[in-house]
Amino acid sequence: MKIPRKQFTASIPTFAMGDIGFLLLIFFVILARAQDDSHIQWRPAQLEDLEAAGVPLANVAIDSGFKTYLNGKEISVENLSARLAAILGDAPAGRRNVFLKVHRTAAAQTFEPVIEAIGEAGGDLVHILEPESEPPSP
Amino acid sequence: MKLRRGKPLVDPPALASSDIAFILIIFFLVCASVQPETGRAQTLPKTEEKEDKRDQSKNLEVSITPTTIVLNGSPLQLPEFAARIKAALEPKQRPEDRVVVVKSAPDTEYQQWIRVSKAIDDAGGVVTLELTKERTITVE
Repeated sequence: MKIPRKQFTASIPTFAMGDIGFLLLIFFVILARAQDDSHIQWRPAQLEDLEAAGVPLANVAIDSGFKTYLNGKEISVENLSARLAAILGDAPAGRRNVFLKVHRTAAAQTFEPVIEAIGEAGGDLVHILEPESEPPSP
Repeated sequence: MKLRRGKPLVDPPALASSDIAFILIIFFLVCASVQPETGRAQTLPKTEEKEDKRDQSKNLEVSITPTTIVLNGSPLQLPEFAARIKAALEPKQRPEDRVVVVKSAPDTEYQQWIRVSKAIDDAGGVVTLELTKERTITVE
């Protein structure tokens, strides 16, 4: 007589799914923040009549220490044009937005070569500014 | 006497916890990232080498320093400059005639530069930067 083997059922522990989903999301959030430039210290210049800036393909910033950054990573002005051109790729005109965030006290000798590099790469330049605060009424 | 019916124990459906966590994180991410940026698009200025001076006599020239704006040799303050550049560009119809050559002193601050640039844009001008390239010449 054959003794039937006991059948074991293997079930996936569904209780851990929340933790797995959470960890996966953290992973993707960290990946997404690789392009983030929120750590850069800068104060935007003020101007009136500003518009919504739209969506950028690249962010170029000059911080309060007058260093240049591309998508949050420090870069030399000499390399900026080539790196930007690679990022912009074959994107059609009008969708090649490059946000330029310049600290308000940066000097022309710092920001003009950056503007030139964005032009060379064929980017659509958008100056990121803040609305001019109205003078306090007496 | 009435017998009390025992209440059945109900476990929360653990399978849904991943969906709940996912929706919550999406909600917080959207809240954190919706911070609209404001700015000003600018038609990119074409840079010109200093030695390439063709046709520049026709174009308006603006020099920006930290304290003043010089339009064709006259030092001005911003409100006066805005009016003068508008008047100067008004009769010009062709786009190539509306080019304004902007030369900035090295220590001109961005805040000053962007105000002047806006005044030129608003007057219908096309900003063109004139950059002076540094060169090292070895003399034997």
